[in-house]
Amino acid sequence: MKAQALAVQGEETGEMVPLSGLRVGQTASVGEVLGNLELVHRLREMGFYQGARVKMIRRGSPCIIGLAGQRLGFRGDDLARILVRVPAMAS
Amino acid sequence: MAVASDKTTWTIALVGNPNTGKSTLFGALSGLAQQVGNYPGVTVEKKTGEVVHHGRRWSLVDLPGTYSLAPRSPDEMVTVDVLLGRRADVPPPDVILCVAAAGNLDRNLYLASQVMELGRPVVVALTMNDLAEAEGTHVDVAALSRRLGVPVVPVQAQRREGLEALKDAVERAGAGEPPAIEGLFPDPFRAEVDRLAEELDGRLGVNLTGAHSPRYLAERLVLDAGSYVEEALGLPEDERRELRESVQAARGRLAEAGCRVPEIETTSRYAWVADTLDGVVAHGKAEARFADRLDAVLTHPTWGSLILALVLLLTFNAVFSWATVPMDWIDAGIGAVGGAIEGAMAEGPIRSLLVDGIVGGIGAVVIFLPQILILIGILAVLEECGYLARAAYLMDRIMVHVGLSGKSFIPLLSSFACAIPGVMATRVIEDRRDRLTTILIAPLMSCSARLPVYVLMIGAFIPKRSYLGGWVQLQGLTMVGMYLVGVVVAAAVALVLKRTFLRSATPIFLMEMPAYQWPSPITVARRMIDRGWDFLYNAGTIIFAVSIVMWGLLYYPRLSADDLAPLLGRQEQAEGALEAARESADEARVAEAEAAVAAAEARIDGAQQRQSLLGRMGRFIEPAVRPLGWDWRIGSAAIASFPAREVVVATLGVIFDVGEEVTEGEGEQRLTQALQGATWPDTGKPLFTIPVALSIMVFFALCAQCVSTLAVIWRETGSWTWPALSFAYMTILAYVGAFLTYQVGTWIGS
Repeated sequence: MKAQALAVQGEETGEMVPLSGLRVGQTASVGEVLGNLELVHRLREMGFYQGARVKMIRRGSPCIIGLAGQRLGFRGDDLARILVRVPAMAS
Repeated sequence: MAVASDKTTWTIALVGNPNTGKSTLFGALSGLAQQVGNYPGVTVEKKTGEVVHHGRRWSLVDLPGTYSLAPRSPDEMVTVDVLLGRRADVPPPDVILCVAAAGNLDRNLYLASQVMELGRPVVVALTMNDLAEAEGTHVDVAALSRRLGVPVVPVQAQRREGLEALKDAVERAGAGEPPAIEGLFPDPFRAEVDRLAEELDGRLGVNLTGAHSPRYLAERLVLDAGSYVEEALGLPEDERRELRESVQAARGRLAEAGCRVPEIETTSRYAWVADTLDGVVAHGKAEARFADRLDAVLTHPTWGSLILALVLLLTFNAVFSWATVPMDWIDAGIGAVGGAIEGAMAEGPIRSLLVDGIVGGIGAVVIFLPQILILIGILAVLEECGYLARAAYLMDRIMVHVGLSGKSFIPLLSSFACAIPGVMATRVIEDRRDRLTTILIAPLMSCSARLPVYVLMIGAFIPKRSYLGGWVQLQGLTMVGMYLVGVVVAAAVALVLKRTFLRSATPIFLMEMPAYQWPSPITVARRMIDRGWDFLYNAGTIIFAVSIVMWGLLYYPRLSADDLAPLLGRQEQAEGALEAARESADEARVAEAEAAVAAAEARIDGAQQRQSLLGRMGRFIEPAVRPLGWDWRIGSAAIASFPAREVVVATLGVIFDVGEEVTEGEGEQRLTQALQGATWPDTGKPLFTIPVALSIMVFFALCAQCVSTLAVIWRETGSWTWPALSFAYMTILAYVGAFLTYQVGTWIGS
């Protein structure tokens, strides 16, 4: 039931794009995290669970992501890739 | 198991995410009564302190910061072991104090939800509430406490606010029931865990310590890929296999029911967190925050990098300029102690051992303490205020080119003062191959012990030329060049290692950018004391032992009476001349005669040196060092400095007949002159030329001449392979580097 509450957030959103595709200041919700199982789990533990809201703070490699009050320096490459859903009516 | 309140000493475990102010809280609670050590068998720092509350004595254990109780790194493994009461050296905790930062409760409560399942009383300390409020995040503490079912106490550890309330809450919690956390996982998962718990109960029977429920163990068995719980159960091999099959089957059924492991854990817990925080945390509309504006500059690819370069420049400047005064004091103090012993004892092996071996050995260690303390202090301040994470972020762009991540930057930075704290700082790197690569290249950073060699050689042999109207000097450029040699070679070595037997893909970079805040002076001071003591103890014991051995090699065998007689004769002659000069009261003559006496004494030392075991070794290896442009004297000095490179200047002083007091003003000048005047005995040509000086410097820049570093590498990696590899590759590189420098230098010069 609670897991569903999060899933609903995901449904209202549009296409999946890589996290690195976000513009500075743009927000999105985490869709899928792909890659090495252990790293994926670590990312999820850090808060990149499905439906979590992320905000691009600084683009590039590594980028800085805003995630639930924390800022994370992140460079994923092939080992772990975060896909996010951008609302269809992106501001 | 005894009820907690019956015991005289409670154990309170402090657990929390990194960057939550956990160490500051630990410091505020335990004051100066802290002990820092290592957990036996693993290189994880063990911090314990003592709290007295209402006449009760509590032992406070600060566990390494962790994001999760699903252990992956040694740090996390220790945290889990202590919390489960599985370590013999720490009693099972009576109360778990879970530190959570108000600004990022989502992620902090993820860990809290795991902690609350352990079946121990839990108290949540809510830190950084002021920072959260300033950012427009308001936490309803009473509501949060009700939802969680455990006491939540806001604290401002730096201002010592809330500490008494926190201790009261711990006292009450310890006497009460542990929290019950229900309905976190979906039904199919709970059904599987129940089934497995029953199986475990049957298998373990009386074996189960009762410290934690079979339910908890079953849950971790299903969720965690590693086999640590399995090992912890201590079952015989056949039962282990059966259990493993049950776990696999349970995972399979769960996957069919839509609960994939390990994803189910994060999904369920974050759903629980979202429920718990709903209506408890209010996010106001935050305006452009000060921290955002700061980050816009500090993490900017251009401006941020420029500021980082400036910060590094100022840091190194501070390390080398501020440290000179205390280093002079220490030098003078060591000299005075040595002098006092020299005056009080008759000449002989024991006096020589005390003065040259023991006092000199201690001096060689203590002399570097100011630089190390200053660097550690500056790094601690930069880390505490949140800047180091930004520096690591910026450096990631560069580190990625050699196959490492930004996390390797801080250990390498520390290594410029001393590789020992640098190697220890690699503990933050999760990826094992990355950590090993960083450990292997850390000793290539020019540490402060190489500086005396650079200063001596550059001062004596590099011409004082300046360019661009005096702004750039050749001597300064050479110094920078020596630092660059280490960095460039380190980059090349890292590339090679990461492409060969430490091969792994460039690791991902995931690093929290902590909130900016004022550093806590207590935390900084503690770090300096702990690391300084660590250095003194580790390096101290080894350098000390080695100094004694080196003293023996330089002292024995003594000159025979026949060899000594003509030298003593000359010394007596000089002393006679001095007395005559004193009677004549001609100051110029006195000075001249005094110099002659000193020279005669130095000549005896030099003859003894040549005769010693070390001198013989130097002559034995001369053919090998000739291609580097060196003679046996330089070879002996290089051999003597293998255990600890800082002894080289003193050794050169003894070998080149100017006595040992070469580290200070006049003595240094005398050594410079002696080196400039040294010649090859066969040809009479000057021994030291610019290529020779450069070849010596390159050799010292690249060589692994530090037993303490090798010992720390052994301790940190738990194997002799890595220190052996460090030593071998660095020595080969040093030889090749010195060879090329000399040969190319000579070719250019001719």
